[in-house]
Amino acid sequence: MRNLIAFFKRFQIFLVFVLLQVAALSAYIRYSEFARLQVFSSASQINGRLFEMRNSVAKHFNLEGTNRKLELENARLREKLKLSNYKIDRELIQIEDTNYQQQYLYMAASVINNTYDKRNNYMTIDIGKNHGIQKGWGVISSKGVVGIVHLVGESYSVVKTILSKNINVDVSMRDGGAFGLLKWDGINPKICQISGISNDISIKKFTKVITRGGSGIYPKGIPVGVITKRKSIEGKPLWDLQVRIAEDFRTIQHVYVIKNVMLDELRELEGKIPPDKEEDEL
Amino acid sequence: MNSFVLNSIRFVLFALFQALILNNLEPGLGLYVMIYPLFIFMLPFQMGTVPLMLLSFAFGLVIDSFSNTFGLHASSAVIMAFFRPIIFKWLSPRDGYESVESVNVYSMGGRWFLYAYGSLLLIHHIWFFTIESFKLNEFIWILIKIGLSVPSSFLLSLLVQFIFVSNKKAVR
Repeated sequence: MRNLIAFFKRFQIFLVFVLLQVAALSAYIRYSEFARLQVFSSASQINGRLFEMRNSVAKHFNLEGTNRKLELENARLREKLKLSNYKIDRELIQIEDTNYQQQYLYMAASVINNTYDKRNNYMTIDIGKNHGIQKGWGVISSKGVVGIVHLVGESYSVVKTILSKNINVDVSMRDGGAFGLLKWDGINPKICQISGISNDISIKKFTKVITRGGSGIYPKGIPVGVITKRKSIEGKPLWDLQVRIAEDFRTIQHVYVIKNVMLDELRELEGKIPPDKEEDEL
Repeated sequence: MNSFVLNSIRFVLFALFQALILNNLEPGLGLYVMIYPLFIFMLPFQMGTVPLMLLSFAFGLVIDSFSNTFGLHASSAVIMAFFRPIIFKWLSPRDGYESVESVNVYSMGGRWFLYAYGSLLLIHHIWFFTIESFKLNEFIWILIKIGLSVPSSFLLSLLVQFIFVSNKKAVR
């Protein structure tokens, strides 16, 4: 017993070191959840307030660009408002009502903090639990896909952007429809990669990439970017595709959070697919 | 000034400087300027390693909470605190550190600062960027990140010392 105490005394420093490292790293590599509480993230009240204060100063520097972007979007939306241009019979409206049920609901939010240069990039937005936001909802901007809601605080939330490891948004080509997963290699915040497309499918440069809408997080057809480079991976029958993403994460200020009304139904249905037996045996 | 009060003020100022200014500075190529290691470096000499590591852990968690890294900064801060006494022992001057009150460029000299802070910063940054991406095939990219970030963090720390630390030697 005395030896044991002597041992602990002698290696006290190293033991404390190991203990602290285990605490910190297990949180980072997702073994424990203690540092992933929203208190320790920018979704907490104090940090959110602080970032909001900073943003209220910093946003004025981009005011002109933001205005122009919103003007463009307004113009585009105005074009779609056919009701304000033509008079349509009442019956037609009724037909539209019964034929189409709204599936996706949008909520506007402003970005109060974001990064684009780290390995995993997160964004803090100014809506949270009080506005009904839930983890896992999609986030887009007027230009294209942004990310997925990762943590939800009382009135702020943290969004994991597509500039992250293992984000895996399912995307497809607008022409042709070949689909794969969107990934990011951590190097250039303007370029993402698409994996999982077999290289016997012909894919041209400058093909537009859109969301596939498969997982029910984003509606189908949200722009992602444009293919800029394409080469085949050595030893695998797959394309290595480089995508210039539509959104510029260095100037992003306004986003929309998407709610899919039918998400539960989709998940329940897909949960009934029997698991792959062959994989279990491996 | 009382050392406790001084370091508490530093704690808040360094955390705010890192969170509100440096975390938004993203010039590209993975360059990430960090000032908060200077806080750990400038803690008093007399502090034992265990309280030093506990304080660094708490400080790292605060930085983590601002940059959404969930323990990455805490881990890097603890490894820096662990190596601080070891590096200091290696570089100790002939008559030890007894006559020195605070750790900065003026009290210890430029050469000592370069070796001590430079090596600790290197350890800190290597650990940080390696754990951050944790993939072997991004090895060269990690090296670029370290090679760019260490000199810039070092220069900024030097600048902060020149501007904010008063030159007590000259006064005496």
